[in-house]
Amino acid sequence: MTALVFSMSSLSLSTVVRTGVKVPRNFRLLEELEEGQKGVGDGTVSWGLEDDEDMTLTRWRGMIIGPPRTIYENRMYSLKVECGPRYPETPPFVRFVTKINLNGVHNSNGVVDTRAVSALAKWQNSYSIRVVLQELRRLMMCKENMKLPQPPEGQIYTN
Amino acid sequence: MAENSGTDPAVNTNADENAAKGGTIIMVTVKTPKDKEEIAISEDSSVAQFKEEISKRFKAKQDQLVLIFAGKILKDGDTLNQHGIKDGLTVHLVIKTSPKASGGSTSQASAPSPGVSSSNRSTAGAGNPPPASTANQSQGTGPSAAPAQPGNLLSGFGDLSNLAGLGMGSSNFMELQQQMQRQLMSNPEMLSQIMENPLVQNMMSNPDLMRQMIMANPQMQQLMERNPEISHMLNNPELMRQTMELARNPAMMQEMMRNQDRALSNLESIPGGYNALRRMYTDIQEPMFSAAREQFGNNPFSALGGSPDGSGAQPSRTENREPLPNPWGPSESSTTENRGAGSTATTTTTTSTSGSTPSVSNPLGVGSATVGNGIFNSPGMQSLMQQISENPQLMQNMLSAPYMRSMMQSLAQNPEIASQTPPASAPTSTPAAGANPSQQQLIQQMLQMFAGGSQSTQTPEVRFQQQLEQLSAMGFINREANLQALIATGGDINAAIERLLGSQPS
Repeated sequence: MTALVFSMSSLSLSTVVRTGVKVPRNFRLLEELEEGQKGVGDGTVSWGLEDDEDMTLTRWRGMIIGPPRTIYENRMYSLKVECGPRYPETPPFVRFVTKINLNGVHNSNGVVDTRAVSALAKWQNSYSIRVVLQELRRLMMCKENMKLPQPPEGQIYTN
Repeated sequence: MAENSGTDPAVNTNADENAAKGGTIIMVTVKTPKDKEEIAISEDSSVAQFKEEISKRFKAKQDQLVLIFAGKILKDGDTLNQHGIKDGLTVHLVIKTSPKASGGSTSQASAPSPGVSSSNRSTAGAGNPPPASTANQSQGTGPSAAPAQPGNLLSGFGDLSNLAGLGMGSSNFMELQQQMQRQLMSNPEMLSQIMENPLVQNMMSNPDLMRQMIMANPQMQQLMERNPEISHMLNNPELMRQTMELARNPAMMQEMMRNQDRALSNLESIPGGYNALRRMYTDIQEPMFSAAREQFGNNPFSALGGSPDGSGAQPSRTENREPLPNPWGPSESSTTENRGAGSTATTTTTTSTSGSTPSVSNPLGVGSATVGNGIFNSPGMQSLMQQISENPQLMQNMLSAPYMRSMMQSLAQNPEIASQTPPASAPTSTPAAGANPSQQQLIQQMLQMFAGGSQSTQTPEVRFQQQLEQLSAMGFINREANLQALIATGGDINAAIERLLGSQPS
């Protein structure tokens, strides 16, 4: 399957670069998959398919490494990202799996409030899962968040 | 462009042992936030084997490594194949600075609050946690992370079994803490042992840590919301340090409390003073007291408190402090020392217990086991006054708080009343009557004090000249707003900045 993945992603990349046309969802997601596996970015976030056999490329897993000099430092936050059928025209659903105390994240279930994250609130189809994860990480570095007391490490939301 | 090379026979450099495991060697990039390395590993190997290679390359212990690929944490038992890790792909690495689950800085900062308890328990036992925590605390990592939750704290020490074995028996940290405090209350020697423990002293000498601890208490937080002066006091590191020094020295505290008892009783006799003091007590100290004592089950002073207005202090009460006479003479140090020797008649029976929660105005750092004749014999008020009177610097800090200033101003406006009181107070006996001359001395010094003090408060702009300059240098150009903020925070620049920033969208 991976061979297919990679060849399709290379196709999609070239399409975007040349024509700027709306890339079909799957191509785009394959591209993001490849980026996730290659560690594109600064290494502070990671993402990938939840299930490698997921042909719909809908359920993704993300990981954010807590930024240094904040209370989130040295912790790893696992997230679930769901890219709906209209992705990338519509933003993905994001929720934390690891418990976190962060403004914009529901305390009870880890769901990220779309209005609280500007990348989600003002979504553009050029945005990606990486952008969302990086934005969440940036939020952790905000003054209003960086000192919030956190639940013990390792706890996850059960629903 | 993207390839899926299954075989790569050219790569065989240092991969002999890996090749022996069977399967082809792949090059995987391991990336940390700081650097990245390419590691050759057999594609059939397990995550544990991979980590072994990584630990060699990155010079870190295997159990400190956390690997992430495609948004998932790689567990030791998994294989690289399982996660689809192939040649040329990148795996993220996080090197934890502490072996346990809790992150490095969080466990350091959270170490202090169980530091007292576990150091107490482990003074007899293992010496491992105290030195480690001491080293951590001395780095002053307190400010960077708020005190973490109980579970985190215990795991940060890494020897839960030790703690349990020390007889506490409870796995819930909060219970442990309560038990410990209860024990402390009943056993003064234990307290002095604790205070002598260098760990505790070290911890207490870190004002930021103490502030974190205090602020972590939810009642304190509520209290601080109602009475913003308290949070300003907490933010004053000097004040904190002095309070902590005080708390550290039980003998000194006892003496001060004895002295304070007398001072307070003098205060009672001043017209209007009783009510004002009572208000102050219920506004600030009773809630603070309850906040600290809450874990002890009940506030021993709830009976004594008895103010008809109740202890639900409203912010409007701050206005009522206006006519409050100034009970704290600043240069009382000489007086207190004199009186300290002779104040045996006081009914203070304070035992300096639970030095583990000293706070700004130090009522909490005082033993709660005392029984006084009234509110003013409460250790809270006593220690506050004694502490203030003994230390002029502390005095100054307190005075700069806004309500203090208003107190003094109103007193300055009524000097006649003040001068009338000394002769009146001499014959008046107070519950904890001591020698009369010392009472008069106190009053006179108080007079001098606020006579001098009121001058310095009449021109806030002049007083805050330096701070205003600093603020404008930092870029706060609205001089009026700066001045307001400074007045409100009593000259505390940091608090003023926060105030200014709070009023603007940041």
